[in-house]
Amino acid sequence: MVDPAEPKGAIPEAEAPDVVPPSSAPDDVLRVEHIAKRFGPVTALRDINLHLKKGEVLGLLGDNGAGKSTLIKIITGFQKQDSGQMFLRGEPYEPKSVDDARAKGIDTVFQDLALIDELSVYHNLYLRRERLLKPFPLLANRQMKREARTALDEIGINIPRIDVAVARLSGGQRQAIAVARVVNGDADIILLDEPLAAMGAKEGAQILDLVARLKGEGKVSIVMILHNYVHVLQACDRVSMIQDGVIALDKPTSETSVEELTDIVVNEYRRAREETHAQEAREREQAPGA
Amino acid sequence: MASVAGGSAAQTPPAAPGGSEHSLRAPTRRQVFERVVSLREGSIIVVTIITAIYFSANTSSFFTGTNFKTLLPYFAPFAILAAGEVFVMILGEIDLSIGAMYLFAPILFYKLDTSLGFGLVPGVIVTLLLCMVVGALNGFFVAVIGINSFVATLAMLFTFEGLALIISHGTPVATPGAQPPLGTFGKVFGGGTYAEIIWAVAIVAILQVVLTFTRWGLYTVAIGSNKLGAAEAGVQVKLVMIRNYMLCSLTAALVGIFEAVRSATVQPDPAGANEILFLAVAAGVIGGTLLTGGSGTIVGALIGALFLGILKDGLILQGVNANYLLFYTGLAVIVAMSANVYVSRARRGHSGSG
Repeated sequence: MVDPAEPKGAIPEAEAPDVVPPSSAPDDVLRVEHIAKRFGPVTALRDINLHLKKGEVLGLLGDNGAGKSTLIKIITGFQKQDSGQMFLRGEPYEPKSVDDARAKGIDTVFQDLALIDELSVYHNLYLRRERLLKPFPLLANRQMKREARTALDEIGINIPRIDVAVARLSGGQRQAIAVARVVNGDADIILLDEPLAAMGAKEGAQILDLVARLKGEGKVSIVMILHNYVHVLQACDRVSMIQDGVIALDKPTSETSVEELTDIVVNEYRRAREETHAQEAREREQAPGA
Repeated sequence: MASVAGGSAAQTPPAAPGGSEHSLRAPTRRQVFERVVSLREGSIIVVTIITAIYFSANTSSFFTGTNFKTLLPYFAPFAILAAGEVFVMILGEIDLSIGAMYLFAPILFYKLDTSLGFGLVPGVIVTLLLCMVVGALNGFFVAVIGINSFVATLAMLFTFEGLALIISHGTPVATPGAQPPLGTFGKVFGGGTYAEIIWAVAIVAILQVVLTFTRWGLYTVAIGSNKLGAAEAGVQVKLVMIRNYMLCSLTAALVGIFEAVRSATVQPDPAGANEILFLAVAAGVIGGTLLTGGSGTIVGALIGALFLGILKDGLILQGVNANYLLFYTGLAVIVAMSANVYVSRARRGHSGSG
C-alpha cells in the first residue's frame, strides 16, 4: 500500500524494513497515518503510522536523525507534514500552531527544552499560561510564584529557589522545569523529546518516577523519545521504532527485550554499511568510463 | 524595581519563602549601596550622579533652576526615543529608522494640516498612525522576511529620510500650531517648557510597567533570550516583533512632532536626525540594555539620556569650544560604558542576576 503522493525512499524495496500499517483500537486518543515529511532533498519521514491509547506510555526509538523529533514537532503543531493525516480522539486533527495543539490538549517538552534563560523559574513554568491580576492585564507574579512552588512540590521536583533566572540552574534542574511546565498544564497527551538527556541518574529517576505516577493516575497519555532500552522497557507500555522514515517495529514492551531492540539496530547498521559498499562499487565501475 | 522580570535576587521583595536572607534586618549603608549598584540601572545611576557632582563643583551655574530648564530639551526627547528603541533592542534587534520617523513625522504632519486640511490634532493622530504602519513594515521585513534588522532599518532610514526631502523639497517650513502666541496644542505637544519632560516621564513609566509586568514585556524578553524556545512555548514571535517595531516608530514620530513644535520649524535635515538616532541608541545602551537582547530597562534608558544631557549641558557651561563637544561626548560614553561593564561584572559576581 503505497500512497502515490509520497516521496520514495532511496532504499530498494526488498531490503527495506517491514512497514507497520495503520492500526487502531477503540480507545485510541491519537492516531497518526501515513505521515511524510521532507526537508529539501532529505526525506525525514516516509510513511509513519502510530497510535496511542488512553493512559498509555509509548516509547519512541530510532537512530539519530531518524526523524523522531520531526514527528513530535508535527504532532505538536510546530511543523506541518507534507502528507498524511492525524486523528485526535477519532476526529481529524490539524494543529495550526503550538498554541492550537495545546488548546486541544497536546503539550510537548522539546529536546532544546524551550526554556528562557533570562526569565525566572516561575515565569518559565507559566509562559503562555500566565496568571493575571484581573481585570488588569498585569502579571500576577505572587500568585504564579505560590502556584509554581506548590506545583513543583506536588510533582516532586526539588528546586531551591524559583525566583532566580533558569540560566543559573543545572542541566538536570532545567530539564525538570521543562517537564514540570508541561505536566503542570491541562494537557492529556504529553510528548517528551528525550526527557532524560542532560540528566544524572538521580534526576533521571525522578522523571521516570513522575512518568510512572502519571501512568498510575491514568489521566494522561504519553509519547516519550528515549535512547536507553532499559529505560524504555521499564517506563513504557509499548515501543515503536522509526527506521528509514517508517515505523519498523511496534510491540508491547512485555513482548520484546533489550536483545531484540539491539538486533534491529545492529541489522540496520549492517544494511547501511552494505549499501555504502555497494554504492562505492558502482562508483568504481563507472569511474574508468568517465 | 525597574528592571525586567527575573531581574535579580537583590530587588525581589522578601515575600518568597527562603528569600534573601539580609532583608530581615534594616540594611546598612553599604548594603544600600550594593543594592543600588546591583540594579541593572545601578552603574549608570552612579556614573550620572558623579558627572552631575563634577559639573556642580566646577561651574557655579550648573545647579540652578535656569540651567535645569536648559537641560530638559537635552535629554527628554532622547529618553522617549530610547524608550521605544529599548523594546526593539531587547529583542536582540535594532531600529535605525527612528531617525527617519523623527524627520518624516513633522513633515507629514505639516502636509496633512496645511495642504489637506486635517486640522492639528487629527493631523497628529493620522501622522502617528502612518508612522506605525512604517514600523509594522520594519517588523515585517525583519520578522517575516528575515532581513537582518540593521540592514532592513538602515534601508528604511534612507528611504524615509529621502521621502521627507522629496515631500518638503528640502525647504524648512513653520510648524502648524506652534507659532506665538502658543495655544493649548502647541503647549501640550512639546512647546511648553515642561511638556517634553512630562511626556518623557509618563512614557517611560508606562513602558517600564509594560516591560516588567505584562505578557507583552515577558514575551519581548523571551524572544530576545531564546527565540526558538519562545516560539516552541507558543509565543507569537513575529507578532510581538512587529508590535515592538510599531511602538518604536510611534515614539520616534512623537518626538519628531514635539521637537518641530518646540523649535516652531519643520527642518528637513537628515544629518541632524541621524545624530539624534545614534544618541537615542547610545542612551539605551548606556542605560544598561544589551544590544544582544534578552535584557533591558526603560528607566535605565531615561537615565542614560539624562547622562548624555548633563554631559552636553555641563561641557557647554564650562565654555568648551563647540568643536570639542562631540569629541568629549565620545570619550565620556567610552568611560561610562567601561564602568557599566565593570560594575555589571561585579553584580553577576555577588548577586547573580541573569
